[in-house]
Amino acid sequence: MSIEIKNISKGFGNFSALKDVSLNVPTGELVALLGPSGCGKTTLLRIIAGLETPDNGSIHFHGEDATDRAVRERQVGFVFQHYALFRHMTVFENVAFGLRVRPKHTRPSEAEIKRRVHELLNLVQLDWLADRYPPQLSGGQRQRIALARALAVEPKVLLLDEPFGALDAKVRKDLRRWLRRLHDELHITSVFVTHDQEEALEVADTIVVMNQGRIEQIGSPQQVYDHPATPFVYQFLGNVNAFEGHVDQGVAKIAGLQVPLNYQHEARSGSISAFVRPYDIQVRKAYDDNGALAAKLTYAHSIGPIVRLELKREDNHEFLDAELSKADFDNLNIKEGDSVYLKLKNVRVFFGNNFVI
Amino acid sequence: MKRKASVLPGFKLSLGFAILYLSLVVLIPLSAAFLKTFTLTWAEFWQSVSAPRVVASYKLTFGASLIAAIINVVFGLLTAWVLTRYRFFGKKIIDAFVDFPFALPTAVAGISLSAIYSTNGWIGSLFEPVGIKVAYTPLGVVVALTFIGLPFVVRTVQPVLEDLSAEVEEAAASLGANRWQVFYKIIFPAIWPALITGFALAFARAIGEYGSVIFIAGNMPMVSEITPLIIITKLEQYDYAGATAVAVVMLVISFALLFLINALQWWSNRRLGHTAS
Repeated sequence: MSIEIKNISKGFGNFSALKDVSLNVPTGELVALLGPSGCGKTTLLRIIAGLETPDNGSIHFHGEDATDRAVRERQVGFVFQHYALFRHMTVFENVAFGLRVRPKHTRPSEAEIKRRVHELLNLVQLDWLADRYPPQLSGGQRQRIALARALAVEPKVLLLDEPFGALDAKVRKDLRRWLRRLHDELHITSVFVTHDQEEALEVADTIVVMNQGRIEQIGSPQQVYDHPATPFVYQFLGNVNAFEGHVDQGVAKIAGLQVPLNYQHEARSGSISAFVRPYDIQVRKAYDDNGALAAKLTYAHSIGPIVRLELKREDNHEFLDAELSKADFDNLNIKEGDSVYLKLKNVRVFFGNNFVI
Repeated sequence: MKRKASVLPGFKLSLGFAILYLSLVVLIPLSAAFLKTFTLTWAEFWQSVSAPRVVASYKLTFGASLIAAIINVVFGLLTAWVLTRYRFFGKKIIDAFVDFPFALPTAVAGISLSAIYSTNGWIGSLFEPVGIKVAYTPLGVVVALTFIGLPFVVRTVQPVLEDLSAEVEEAAASLGANRWQVFYKIIFPAIWPALITGFALAFARAIGEYGSVIFIAGNMPMVSEITPLIIITKLEQYDYAGATAVAVVMLVISFALLFLINALQWWSNRRLGHTAS
């Protein structure tokens, strides 16, 4: 079932959580709402679920206006960050809940409920826990039970609010792959909220990047990562080094360096904000006539195959982050305190400034 | 000898103090009551505790206390619900009112209640035309016991209701449960233990209540005379052993009932899956 969100606004007191947000979620897609905390992503999800009512705007499910429909009539499965399992019920009863509360004439028979619940528990690979109580389960298991419970009512839409947020790193990685596979099997329209860009990039078909109650960009993981529409998106999707500079007839001057722009801007001039990913900073030992940025290596930190460098610019003493492979770092043969020269690759330029988060 | 390290030191000291304190305040006075009854022969004991007037008082005391505690469970839950679920003007004041029966001297409460509920009092006069007399009847006893027991249920249920996560209710609603189903399948099992505790406290308090009841009860033998009054009467007649005999019966019945309530709570906790974790 497709979801259309039209011009939704929502405020809490003086705080405006969503400002005129519109979004289409096509049938069967897995969409991530990505943004920092307080950007309105959870509020948007809760409005889709009917747990919150918008101040303005409307929600359409499969073309039908569902704005005034109550939660329990929306046929949405909702998965909470902290699982929200019913702790006084067994795992089996938790999953069966949605079937048992149906009015008598649509309620499946006891045998049918049993069959369905075990089918779902098998789907989440936890059938052996059917008789346990939620407090006896691990976080990852609880979240899978919560998902099975949400799926039991055969929802048309699955909504997940930071589903892996309370889990530790290893379980989180396993579960998000598992969620992706599950989605590929069931093809149920799903929206999940996350503040973890890696999670969004790995799992989602479409990423909606949000900031301060507005949508900054909608696109596939590749689009938003490679072609960020705004400085915010660029900064949010990975580590960045920010520079200020200006452009003169298509040539950018950043930190005293002439940087050719790797894509065509109209021959505009003006001040810019420039961003470089840490792995796009090249570190040299010797100065190069074409210009390079002098810096001092203050700290080198090796994590497996990658070495992270903290560099201090000689001109204004600001810090920069760089990343290079262990092999390159060993070849360079530098140590903390050494002077180095930097070149910038793949500089992303946005006109105007004050874009720092 | 190996010393066992513990993050909570002072177990022996604090346990010792707790037992000493309990002994001084509770156990020694109570066992004195038991000892005093041993000055009676078995026949004398049986005669003092099974006199028709005394038996009628047991029925009234335990019956009225039970009814009052049940009323308090219903309306205490409602009050706690209103105080935790809604925001409204004057909520803090109502919240403070709940503790009134705790703070008010019981005699003051008793006198006010009997004045208001008597046939020419503000509320009593409303019941008069329909033929219901409240003050100076067993009904008046129930009113007084309900009054003094109210805070127990409210104060035990209120924190549990406050702690209930809204998410659990939202989850139930998203799974298709209506308001009533959310209440009896989700909220009720969660507050049930607190509700029983509140019931037990209100019940126990009502059994022992004296001050607020004697004014409104009318104290007619066989009709509206409560057991604590029987005890006082016996004391005033210097029948100390007879008084303690009745007291011992009350103690035993109260203990048995509280034990039963605890057992019920333990059983239902297991059944409703309130696990220890």
